[in-house]
This record gives sequence, structure tokens and C-alpha cells, in this order.
Amino acid sequence: MEAVTDMSESGKYEAFMKRIEDGDKIEMDDWMPDEYRTVLIKLISMHGISEIMGALPEKEWVPKAPGLGRKLGIMAKVQDEMGHGQLLLRVSEDLMKPLGRNRADIMDDLFEERLKFHNVFHMRTHTWADAGLIGWLVDGAAIITQTNMLGASYGPYARALKRICAEEVFHAQHGESIIMALAEGSPEQRKMLQDAIDRWWPSLLMFFGPESKDTTGSSKQDATIKYQIRTKTNEELRQSFLSKYVPRIHSLGLTIPDDTLRFDEATKKWEYRQPDWKEFKQIIGNEGPKSQDRLNLRRAAYENNAWVREALEA
Amino acid sequence: MKITPGSVRHWKHKGDKYMSGTFYNEYEVFSKRAPDKEFIHQFSLTAPNDEIAKVMAQENFLRREPVSDLWVVRREHILTLSEGKKHSLKRLDNKDYRNTKGYGYLRKKWRQYEQNPLDEKEIMGWAKE
Repeated sequence: MEAVTDMSESGKYEAFMKRIEDGDKIEMDDWMPDEYRTVLIKLISMHGISEIMGALPEKEWVPKAPGLGRKLGIMAKVQDEMGHGQLLLRVSEDLMKPLGRNRADIMDDLFEERLKFHNVFHMRTHTWADAGLIGWLVDGAAIITQTNMLGASYGPYARALKRICAEEVFHAQHGESIIMALAEGSPEQRKMLQDAIDRWWPSLLMFFGPESKDTTGSSKQDATIKYQIRTKTNEELRQSFLSKYVPRIHSLGLTIPDDTLRFDEATKKWEYRQPDWKEFKQIIGNEGPKSQDRLNLRRAAYENNAWVREALEA
Repeated sequence: MKITPGSVRHWKHKGDKYMSGTFYNEYEVFSKRAPDKEFIHQFSLTAPNDEIAKVMAQENFLRREPVSDLWVVRREHILTLSEGKKHSLKRLDNKDYRNTKGYGYLRKKWRQYEQNPLDEKEIMGWAKE
């Protein structure tokens, strides 16, 4: 036992990497390299905050959802997303504790623009079809990235993801149900759905991040793969999204706004028009169409609910 | 005054007594699916007091699956093992005498006496007789 505590830094690092390679799970109080801790804090804080930043605008669709059944469905989804945020922020907080940081730092990092949230949540939703498309394709994309990390070497994150992915299955079907109703509806409803796909397509491609750090200057995919937090690269995840969803979109008689999109049988890869990665950088730099509104929505939510905290303290 | 999105420009959480102080406690949540099942660990949460912790446990983790009981424990009350001590949980591979593997030869013996061996499967099955 003493051998473990007496080891040099390089010895600890080797033992740590061996544990990961053996499929062992790292727990919050275990020794870990600083880089591992930093990468996890960044990744999981961003993931957790994105769940919350996504739920805030989504909740605005509750009063606008057509019919009681749809209102209950989307309300349940919003609660799930906030719950995912809670789970993930717990994992982040525990990782930050030894650094003397806590949830207040996460929120301040968000507002002072050191912590980013997912590109899709900076975008405007126009119609009920957008709300359905978010459930179907944005949650579909999220399922692909999240299931890719179910075997993550960090135990608390892997366990959080297991809970999250189970609920995402409900979100995906909730979205499919809205989409199916519109796809089989009136010409006006079909047009509404097609417009939503046309609007969201570039954001869906951006969702997985750039192919390499050469595109946007930085990417944490190399470190996350090295530490077995995930297994596939951004591009592999995007390819898997295209394989799963392009045939489904086409099967409903809908089109994708990219005339270069095709599956190359020789390379077994999808060819597609690159989204504007400069625009992606602007969006995640909080210069997207709804970035500031969404940040203010969170600020206002914290302020407006101050009375709850005060009541609990009394 | 109700604050609307857009009216709040500067908000600092650092130093805010609710976010940075000791307002929230850490809890670990356990639940069981049915009266005859074991408690299993669900996840952790933060809450300002024990009552809210129980409500949050239900709201955060038990919205869908069947549940018959719930334990919510302050994390500081849980005794844990250090990374080094966890190594002591690994057992040496010389404990055959503690389990039925050490008595595997009995199966052959009983066959000689034309009897069926009373193994774990057989014995546990008696509950349904």
C-alpha cells in the first residue's frame, strides 16, 4: 500500500495510465494527472452548462406546444435536461474541489465567457417544427457523442452518462413523434418541417466540432482520446450521425440543403459541404444570434428565484 | 422587481453567499426498486437542508423507474477507503475452502452413490417448492 503513496510523479502517471488501459475506473478521490483533471473539468462543465442553457429556451415552448399531451411531453423533457445539468455539475464540482473552485466559478466562467456552451443553443427557434427537430436531430447528435463516452475512464462521468443516455432515448422518440405528425400533416406543416431542416443543417454538422484543431485553433479531442474518456474523433462521430440520420430524413420525403452530400462507396465515407467554421467560432464565442439573450435568461432565472433561496435559509 | 432577460448585465456568483458559501450540503442518494431488492447508489446532489435533499433525490433520480424506498445520506457521514486501502479489497487466489469450488469433487462422489449433488442451484430452488 505504501508503495502507491511513495511513488514519484512519473511512477504515479504510469500506474494511472495502466489502470485506464486495464479498464479500471478512476474515482474522484484517486490520484490523477493535472491534465486529466483539467480536461475533465472543461469537458463536463461545458456539457453540464449546455444542458441548462438548452433547457431554458426549450421551456419557452411549453405554453406554445399544441395540445396538452405535447405540453406535458416537452415539460418532462425540460425537467430531464435540467436534471442532466445537475448531474454533470455535481461531477464537475467534485473535480474542482481540490483546486478551491466550486459552482460559483462555473457560473462566472460562463458569464465572463471563459466557459462555452454548445453551438446549437445559441440559435433561434422559429416554429414548433424547430422544437421537434431539436428533439429528433439535436438530441440524436447528442446521443451519438454521449454514447461514445459511456465507457469513459472517469467513473462518475460514465455513471452520469448512463443515466443521461437512458433518458435521451425518450427525448429522441419525443422529437420523432412531433416530426412524424408534421411530416404526415398538411402541405403547410411539411413546409414548416423542411424549413426547420434547412435552417438547422449547418448547426447539426457543427455540433460535433471541427475535424482537427487546424480548423479552429483548438480542440480537446486528442486529450480526451488519450485518456480514454471517448473513443471516436469528431469526424467519426459526424460520419456516424450522417449514416444514421440522412436515410431517415430522406425516407420522410425531406431534403437536405447540400447538393454535394453523398456516400462514397470506395472510402465508405460521407462527403458533405463543410459548415462555415469561422461562423462556428463566432457562435461559441457568444456572438451567435441568441447568445446574449440566453445568457441573460440564465442571469434572470437566478435573480428571479432568489426568494426561494432566501426562504430556504430562513 | 421582476428581472427580465436583458435587464441584468452584471452578475457575479463568486462571493455570492448561496453559491460560494456553506449554504448547500452534499448528499449521496440510494434507493431500491422493490421491497425485496437491495439499496443501490443513484448519484449525489447538493441541497440546503435534509428535507429539500429528499425532495431533490426523488425529483432528480426517481422520475421513471419503480421505487419502494429511499435513503439520502450526508456525504460527510459516509466512511470511504483511500486509493491505497482499496488494494486491500483484492483477495488472494487461495481461498477455495470458502466457497463451493473447493468441494467440487463431491459432484463426482455423489454420482458414484447414484445421487444428485445438492449444489447452489438445487438448494436455492427449494424456495419455490
